[in-house]
Amino acid sequence: MVASPVTIHRWVTVRYLGEWRKWARCAAKGRHGGCCALPDMWNLARKLLLHDRLRFAVAIAGVSVSVMLVLVQVGLYFGFMDTASSIIDASRADIWVGKKSNDSFEFATPFDERAFYKVRSVPGVAQAERVLMSFAQFKLADGGDLGVQIVGIETAPDRRPLLEPWNVVAGDARRLAEPGAIALDRSEYPKLKIDRVGHTTEISGVRTEVVAMTSGIRSFTTSPILFADLRTARSYLPQLGGEPVTYVLVRVEDGASIDEVKARINALPQLAAYTRAEMSERTRTYWSERTGVGASFFTTAVLGIIVGFVVVGQILYSGTLQYLREYGTLKAMGARNSAVVRVILSQATISAGLGFAVGAPLAMGMRAAMKGANLTVALSPQLYAATAAITLAMCSFAALLSIVKVLRLDPASVFKA
Amino acid sequence: MPAALAISETSSQLGAIAPAAAAAPADVLARLVGVGKIYGAGEHAVAALSNATLDIRAGEVTLIEGPSGSGKTTLISILGLLLTPTAGEVWIEGRDVAGLGERELPALRARNFGFVFQGFNLFPALTALENVEMAIAMKGGRAAEARAEARRLLERVGLGPRMHHLPSDLSGGQKQRVAIARALGGNPPILVGDEPTAALDTRTALSVMELLRELASSSRRAVVVVTHDPRLERFADRIIRVEDGVIASIAEAAPNLAPRSHS
Repeated sequence: MVASPVTIHRWVTVRYLGEWRKWARCAAKGRHGGCCALPDMWNLARKLLLHDRLRFAVAIAGVSVSVMLVLVQVGLYFGFMDTASSIIDASRADIWVGKKSNDSFEFATPFDERAFYKVRSVPGVAQAERVLMSFAQFKLADGGDLGVQIVGIETAPDRRPLLEPWNVVAGDARRLAEPGAIALDRSEYPKLKIDRVGHTTEISGVRTEVVAMTSGIRSFTTSPILFADLRTARSYLPQLGGEPVTYVLVRVEDGASIDEVKARINALPQLAAYTRAEMSERTRTYWSERTGVGASFFTTAVLGIIVGFVVVGQILYSGTLQYLREYGTLKAMGARNSAVVRVILSQATISAGLGFAVGAPLAMGMRAAMKGANLTVALSPQLYAATAAITLAMCSFAALLSIVKVLRLDPASVFKA
Repeated sequence: MPAALAISETSSQLGAIAPAAAAAPADVLARLVGVGKIYGAGEHAVAALSNATLDIRAGEVTLIEGPSGSGKTTLISILGLLLTPTAGEVWIEGRDVAGLGERELPALRARNFGFVFQGFNLFPALTALENVEMAIAMKGGRAAEARAEARRLLERVGLGPRMHHLPSDLSGGQKQRVAIARALGGNPPILVGDEPTAALDTRTALSVMELLRELASSSRRAVVVVTHDPRLERFADRIIRVEDGVIASIAEAAPNLAPRSHS
C-alpha cells in the first residue's frame, strides 16, 4: 500500500498542478464555499507553520531575500536597458536610419550628409533630421579633461525637433540653437565639476556654455550625455571632417506605412532603417549580449531563486518530517493524499505570500538607496507580478520533496514504534 | 488466562467458516479468513502471519495479546486495511477487500475504522477541537459540520471544557481522549487501538479503557486493542493470543462475568 515510484512520478507530473488548481478554487471560494471538504486550510497551514516561529521566520527571511534579489537584479537590468535606449525611446521619430555597418548605437559610424538628402527625398517621408553622435573631451574646471558623449540635434525656431533634451529642469533648451550652447543632466554635474546653468568651459577648444539642465538622462557608457545643436556638435568634432551625420531621424507622412517607408530607405546603399521600437530593442540587445550584463544580472536573480527554493524546501520538508506521524494517522483514518498535500501547498503559498510581502518593500528600499548612486532599478507592475508568480512557483516546487514524502508515507507506519 | 475467559476457538477451527464468509451474521463488522502475510521473497521471505481467521463483532471489545514480534501489529494492520495480505480474505461491508488498491482503500478506512495510538499523534499546533475537526474534514466531512461533530465528540469523551486547549496543555489521559474523539470522527463502526494505554498511568489507563468499553457497549462499536497490559483483560469480551505469527487462542469472556462497564 506504499505509493510506488511510478505512482509518485505520475502524481507529480500529472496531478500536482491539478491538485494545485483544485486547492486554489477551494481557497478562492473560502471556508464555507461548499466545494471543499477541508476546514480553513489557510488557518491550519498557518498554525502548523507558526508553531515553530523561529523556523517560520527563517523561511520568510529566505523567501524575502530571494524576492528582493530577483526584483533588484532584474530591475537593475531593466534600468540599465532603459538607460541604454533612453535617447531612442525619447525621440519622436518613426524611423532611425544609420550605417549598415553599425553595431552599437553609441559607437555608430558617421556618414556623409548627402545620404541625409537621399533619405529626405524618399516618398512617404514627412520630416527628416540629422543627428550627430560621437565623443569629445570636456574641459574640467580643474584643468583636466573628461570624455563626453555629444548628441548633435537639429534645432529650429519654428518647429519641434524629432530629438531634443527632455525633463529640462533648469535653463532654456531653446537656447541650444545658439553657438556653443549645451544641455547637461544634473546627475553629471559633480563628475563635470560644474554647479549651475551658465557655467562656461571648452570642448575640443571651442567655448561652451551650459544653457539647460535635465534630469534623468544618463548614458549607458560612463561618458555624460551632452545635447547641442548640430553645428555646435560638428565644431566639437573637427576630426570627423566634412559635414558628418550619424543618424537620420524620419517621421513618415500621415497615412503612410512606416514599414513601406522603411523598406524604401533600406533600398538605399549602405543605409539601414529601423523603426523606433526596433532600434531600441537592437540597442538593448547589443548591450545585454555584448557586455554580458544580461547574463550577469539574471544569474544573480536565478541564484536568488535557488536560495529561496532551498530555504523554503528545507523548512517545509523538516516541518513535514516533524508531523509525519500525524499525517500518517490521518492517512490511516482515510484522509486522501490530496487532502494532506493541500495542507503542504497551503504552507508553501503562505510562505510565498509573506515572503513577497516582505521582499517587495525591501526591493523598494533598495531602489531608493540605489537612486543616490545614480543607479536605476526599474520596478514595474509587470515585474512585481512576474516575481510574485515566480515566488509562488518556487515555493510550490520547493514543497515537492515534502509532497513526495507524504505520498510515500505508508499509513501502516503509524503502528511501528 | 483470567477465570472469566475460556478458550472457545482456534485459528484452525475458524478456518472452517471460510465458505460462509459472505453470509456473515449482521453483528460481524469485519472478518479475516485464512489471512497470511509474508514479507520479502525467496530466501529472505519472513512469514509474519499465517492462516489467521477472525470475526470482529459489533459491541465487543477484543484484546490482541502476544509477545513482541509475534504478529499482532501485522494482524491489526491487515484488519485496518493498512496492509495488504499475501494470502486470505478480508471481508468488510460484505465483500472481500483484500485485493483493493490505495485508490479505494482510504474511503473504506474512513467509513469503517478509527485508530488510537500509544503516542496520541495529535498535531501539537492545533487545539483539541481543531485536531478532531481536521480529521473529520479530511475524511470528507464539510467544514461547518466537521466542527459541530468535533465539539459533540469531545463532549462525548468528557473533554468539552478543554476543547480549546493545545495538546501540550492536556494530560496524557486527556490527549488519549482527544485521540479517541478523533478516531470516532465520521462514526466508524470499528475502533483499532495500538497500545492506547501504554503511555498512561494505571488510573488513567483504566479510565481510557472504560471509555472504550462504554463506546463498544453503548453504540455497538467493535473495539480492537493490541496490548501488553494484563490489567485490561477485565474489559475484554475476547482475548486473542498471537504467537509466532499464528492465532494461538481466542478466549471468550463468560457473558455473566465480562465487565460491561466500570464506574
